[in-house]
Amino acid sequence: MSAEIGELRDSARKVLGGLGVPADGEKIWRHIIELGWLTVSVPEELGGLGQSLAGACALYRELGGSLAAAPFLPAMLAIDALCHGRLGSWVERLAAGDYISAPLAESELSAAANRLTGLASAVPDADKAGHVVLCASEGDCVALVPLGSPGVEIQRRATWDTTRRLFDIRLDGVELGDSLVLARGATAQALCRHLSTHLDFALAADSVGGAIALLDRTVEYLLTRRQFGRPLAMFQALKHRCADLKALTCAAAALLDDSLGRLDAVDDTDAALLGLQAKSFATSAYARVAEEALQLHGGIGMTAEYSCHLFLKRALLNAQLGQSNDLCDLEIAADALRPCDD
Amino acid sequence: MQPDLTPPVIRGENPEDLRLAVRAWLAAHVPAGWRAAMTGTDQESFVAAQRDWFAKLAAAGYATPHWPAAWPGGGRSLAEQKIIFEEIARADAPRLILYFVALYHAACTLMEWGTPQQQETHLPRILAGQIWCQGFSEPNAGSDLASVRTRAERRGDHYVVNGQKIWSTMAQYADRCLLLTRTGKSDPPQGGLTYLLLDMRSKGVTVRPIAQITGDDEFAEIFFDDVDIPLEDRVSEEGEGWAVAQSTLSSERGLTLVELSQRMRYALPRIGAAMRDSGRLDDAAIRAELGRLTSKVNALCALADQYLLRRIAGEEVAGDASIVKLTYSRVLRDFTSLGLRIGGLEAQYDRGFMRGATQETGNWLVDFMNSYNWSIAGGSDEIQRNIIAERLLRMPREPRSWQMP
Repeated sequence: MSAEIGELRDSARKVLGGLGVPADGEKIWRHIIELGWLTVSVPEELGGLGQSLAGACALYRELGGSLAAAPFLPAMLAIDALCHGRLGSWVERLAAGDYISAPLAESELSAAANRLTGLASAVPDADKAGHVVLCASEGDCVALVPLGSPGVEIQRRATWDTTRRLFDIRLDGVELGDSLVLARGATAQALCRHLSTHLDFALAADSVGGAIALLDRTVEYLLTRRQFGRPLAMFQALKHRCADLKALTCAAAALLDDSLGRLDAVDDTDAALLGLQAKSFATSAYARVAEEALQLHGGIGMTAEYSCHLFLKRALLNAQLGQSNDLCDLEIAADALRPCDD
Repeated sequence: MQPDLTPPVIRGENPEDLRLAVRAWLAAHVPAGWRAAMTGTDQESFVAAQRDWFAKLAAAGYATPHWPAAWPGGGRSLAEQKIIFEEIARADAPRLILYFVALYHAACTLMEWGTPQQQETHLPRILAGQIWCQGFSEPNAGSDLASVRTRAERRGDHYVVNGQKIWSTMAQYADRCLLLTRTGKSDPPQGGLTYLLLDMRSKGVTVRPIAQITGDDEFAEIFFDDVDIPLEDRVSEEGEGWAVAQSTLSSERGLTLVELSQRMRYALPRIGAAMRDSGRLDDAAIRAELGRLTSKVNALCALADQYLLRRIAGEEVAGDASIVKLTYSRVLRDFTSLGLRIGGLEAQYDRGFMRGATQETGNWLVDFMNSYNWSIAGGSDEIQRNIIAERLLRMPREPRSWQMP
């Protein structure tokens, strides 16, 4: 980890440490804007901190650890798209808090005759966004769409994970403004792939942060809670389960860091594959830790007051965002089997 | 063809130069067809092949990169050793298992604790191919080394040893043994142990190979019946055996797991080949399993790699090694289980086994059985979990009040 990223992580820990878990979305959002976190991966020539995806992931990880309820990830995806498209000049506006959203799942959109039709799901805080960045897989186009445009309908979809506020966006022949089209054709395909990879790494980092924080809390609880005249943490049956979870979270963190370290040396296709592996492994690990953590907490884990369920719900949602892990695993296998298919 | 044994002299330069030099050397020297030659063969042929491979590696300087610079091949940094192990994995070279105890356990222990006389006597012999075994575990002291009961009684200028050791790898071929004995009371539990260097040809030493579930006999029991060991073959002081044994054990972790995890990554295509051979390339359930396994293997490699980098940087903490070892044994079990599942009925037929094999040979039932070597030996998974829970997660030990009835 570079010194700059280390500093970023430390400052994030300091800020988030004072906000509790789950960290309040509005309070965090103010810090995010004040501290310039949205520009962490923006190239220096566009006024950013120039820290690449690894820098962003350091923040995703810390925010995941506090179950932050702010739409940092969609805003980051939007900025990434703008930097790669032709609208780098918008970066300043976004960094100042003018929120643009982006879907956290694959959209089913088609672009034809400069009009966009279809469904974009899992768009966070769409009610607070002026625009949304959308990728049309049919008709290859990436564009900024103003959410007030005729033919755009947004609908809140309440999730069990209350740290995210997700919306469906339906588009019915929404006209694309030429000045807001970020990419078309092969360039759009590459940009979509790049954004998917960014999303996969972000979900992996969020999950690593969440899994580590939740395991810490669980062990802390087992150390405090006494039954049969001793702390629960003394029972080997529980220690061994915690040890397995520790090994799993360490492996997820190692894979994430290793994959981030390889990004500079690989092409887009391999970067996507690294992202899929990091995402599938880390979100599965998080879900497993969350599942076990609730069991290890016993009855109190079932209470709304305790934060166990918040981690569990975020973990289970993470596993479905981007592509579902089953699809990720099949893609990873397809790559592994390529020599056999020839 | 006469092998070219000229060692490449590359030090303190770009580490990638070393990588390329090692890669080129291995490409020219790894015995072609060693896997086939070692399948269904006897121990003698295996030992001969190991001796031959050791001689080549030692002459090239790749057997002793961890030795001090004064020794041939020595003076390599841990980062350089890592490169050598990674390349050995990449080249699918035979593992040097017959010499591992000599090169690592014995040599590192002697360098740290041995007298100048002991070092002068033994290190050149190890370099010349002397085979050592480890005499630590006993029938009632496996994971719990402090319970060692093999007795060494001091009589004038020598010790008289009586007792039994078990799980000693390749003891039937060993010239010497690193022997942990009890000379005093076990209070504290780690106290009263003494570390001796035993000549395996001494009178009263009996070695009995253990027939394993795979048909191999890599391990042996060693029995001691009034065996004399001269005082000068004691390492460190009487009663200091525990501390010496700890450095013996710590000499093996890290590099081995980097090598083995890399080998597992290079062996992933064996799963694809098995799917093709059994006509299951389109089986979506198996494909998804392969996807998951691929990520697991890459996570394991990342873990082993980062562990070694932390070791190089002096940032290792107690319990780190256990995370890597536990993850390795679990992923290896997953790997071999998946192979077994794909192999179907065919994998149930006995096709013999490969001596000195790597962990993933595609002979799935044998691979699966061998995977227990890693979840039991060198500190079982259960011991690793205790270490992780107690050292890394700070969970308390269980009370020791229970007494043997």
